[in-house]
Amino acid sequence: MTVITSQIRPNAKAGGAREWLRKSFFGNWFDACLSIVLLFISLKLGWSFLQWALLNAVWTPNAPELCGAGGACWSVISTRWRLIFFGLYPADEQWRAALACLIIVAAVVMTCIPRFFTLKGILMIWGVSFPSFLLLMGGGYFGLSPVPTERWSGLPLTLYIYASTILLGMPSAILIALGRRSPYPAIRIILGLVVDLVRSLPLLTILFSFSLVIPLFLPAQLTFDKVYRVIIGFTLFFACYQSEVIRGGLQSVASGQEEAARALGLNYFQRMGHVVLPQALRNTMPMTINQFVVTFKDTSFIVVVGLFELLAAAKSAYGVPEWSAYSKEVYVFIALIYFVFSYSMSKYGKYLELKMKASSAR
Amino acid sequence: METTLSASNEAPSVIAITMRGVNKWYGSYHALRDINLSVRHGERIVLCGPSGSGKSTLIRCINRLEEHQEGDIVVDGIEITDNTRNIDSVRSEVGMVFQNFNLFPHLTILENCVLAPTLVRRVTRKEAEETALHFLEKVRIPEQAHKFPGQLSGGQQQRVAIARALCMQPRIMLFDEPTSALDPEMIKEVLDTMIELANEGTTMVCVTHEMGFAQAVADRVIFMDRGEIVEEGPPKTFFNNPQSERTRSFLGKILGH
Ligand SMILES: Nc1ncnc2c1ncn2[C@@H]1O[C@H](COP(=O)(O)OP(=O)(O)O)[C@@H](O)[C@H]1O
Ligand SMILES: [Mg+2]
Repeated sequence: MTVITSQIRPNAKAGGAREWLRKSFFGNWFDACLSIVLLFISLKLGWSFLQWALLNAVWTPNAPELCGAGGACWSVISTRWRLIFFGLYPADEQWRAALACLIIVAAVVMTCIPRFFTLKGILMIWGVSFPSFLLLMGGGYFGLSPVPTERWSGLPLTLYIYASTILLGMPSAILIALGRRSPYPAIRIILGLVVDLVRSLPLLTILFSFSLVIPLFLPAQLTFDKVYRVIIGFTLFFACYQSEVIRGGLQSVASGQEEAARALGLNYFQRMGHVVLPQALRNTMPMTINQFVVTFKDTSFIVVVGLFELLAAAKSAYGVPEWSAYSKEVYVFIALIYFVFSYSMSKYGKYLELKMKASSAR
Repeated sequence: METTLSASNEAPSVIAITMRGVNKWYGSYHALRDINLSVRHGERIVLCGPSGSGKSTLIRCINRLEEHQEGDIVVDGIEITDNTRNIDSVRSEVGMVFQNFNLFPHLTILENCVLAPTLVRRVTRKEAEETALHFLEKVRIPEQAHKFPGQLSGGQQQRVAIARALCMQPRIMLFDEPTSALDPEMIKEVLDTMIELANEGTTMVCVTHEMGFAQAVADRVIFMDRGEIVEEGPPKTFFNNPQSERTRSFLGKILGH
């Protein structure tokens, strides 16, 4: 069986790709013309971009006077990258912000290693990295000068909001998904309503309500920092979407699994924790990673409620007269940062999906 | 304790399971009708009957995978009620083997066997592994402890499921058509394991259509139809001299081919 497929596949694939190309792009003379015109246009566009981005570009820092000759003005990045990455964070302390970012990225990478996929592994990684991040950013101990959250900005702020959203949102999503299978109808109905309500609102509305509207109704003693309100709004939004993903995963676990666990005497938490949830989460891993990617991109919405995250910091980078003409470059650079994060996450998701297919075909 | 004593004339240490006047409905469908049954420790019971007659429902009421609405069920001296603590302690004394094995696919064979003893009985990991290896050896799954269920044949998976149940050292074993999902060539290996258990004096309630197994090991065969117990008796009388017309027609069908 395996012998046959492995013999046929490579040939079929090599021949198939060429055949597919020929059929789909040069099937008749109209298709062929269209393909050639499109190919020409994309080559032309690609070449102009290359000329702009690399060949005619200016890289020298602090030299706006050299720019403007048709090439990209990367000097805006090489001059003001600190502002883009770290925003208002005190200049002398920016090494702390950089280190904090590295810690979060390292924690994400470690979480992606299958050996640490257990609850214990994940708690260990994030139990160490997240407090270190907070300590480095906030200071106040070990001779680090305190930096209030209002000055956290740029990439560390984006990562802070993102990591908090995921760390708070995943457990909430699991609880919501389990609650929606509760034997108590009241819990099921209320959670169902909340999830449907939140999912039918745009993220922007939720961010606005949490950061601007809700504080108007709360007594002054109860209002807390805007960053935390944004995190709560974000977490709610993420948890509602992710709970639907997990709910699908729970439904995909055969009912015999919980029955067998029950027959062995495992109580509810043991059945969920050791038998049902591990399978449900594993089955939904690709969907979950997709949700992580979407949420990462959504962090750029925070700019509208006036927090100084990556996008806002980028805006301020070209917000002075000598650089005001070069917003394009700044946005391309920011897009690249988002791309690197999102693309590596979705690639990792694809890899996991393939690996899971391979192991279920075992 | 009082209920136990009144449930039977015999001492509770002798009686494994008592069902008295048990009725169960699925919605308006009457699935169990006035079931009275008493199983002594060490007894081997085979439960048979046409499909849909309520055999699974009956044995699933014994460890509360299904809830009965009327009557009393007492297992090993513990009355089955809504009390979750009672239910948990009954479940840890009653092992169950399912038609579809229901092994945990994300855990290795060894982890499947170690899970419940460490979580429920709270034995040490080392002790649990020793017990697991002992029972895996007993069901003749050599050297497979670190594989995943998906890598084993159906017959092997079912024997692992038996070992997993035995690892809790239950006082009673329930089997729900353990060989029905198996290819014919694998049925014998599972039946052999079950016969071995039976010969060691394990209390067993076994839903099966393997009449050879019933004749070889059962102390009593119980025939169910349409949610009620129609007839019961030792295998000899049951097979050679069935009393009820329904039993005769069922045996005619099942022994016919
Ligand atoms: N969860 C359920 N909900 C509704 N009806 C059920 C359920 N489980 C079983 N039944 C019905 O109860 C009857 C007895 O089922 P079961 O005990 O599985 O029979 P057997 O195991 O003898 O084949 C069948 O008619 C079946 O359709
Ligand atoms: Mg059945």
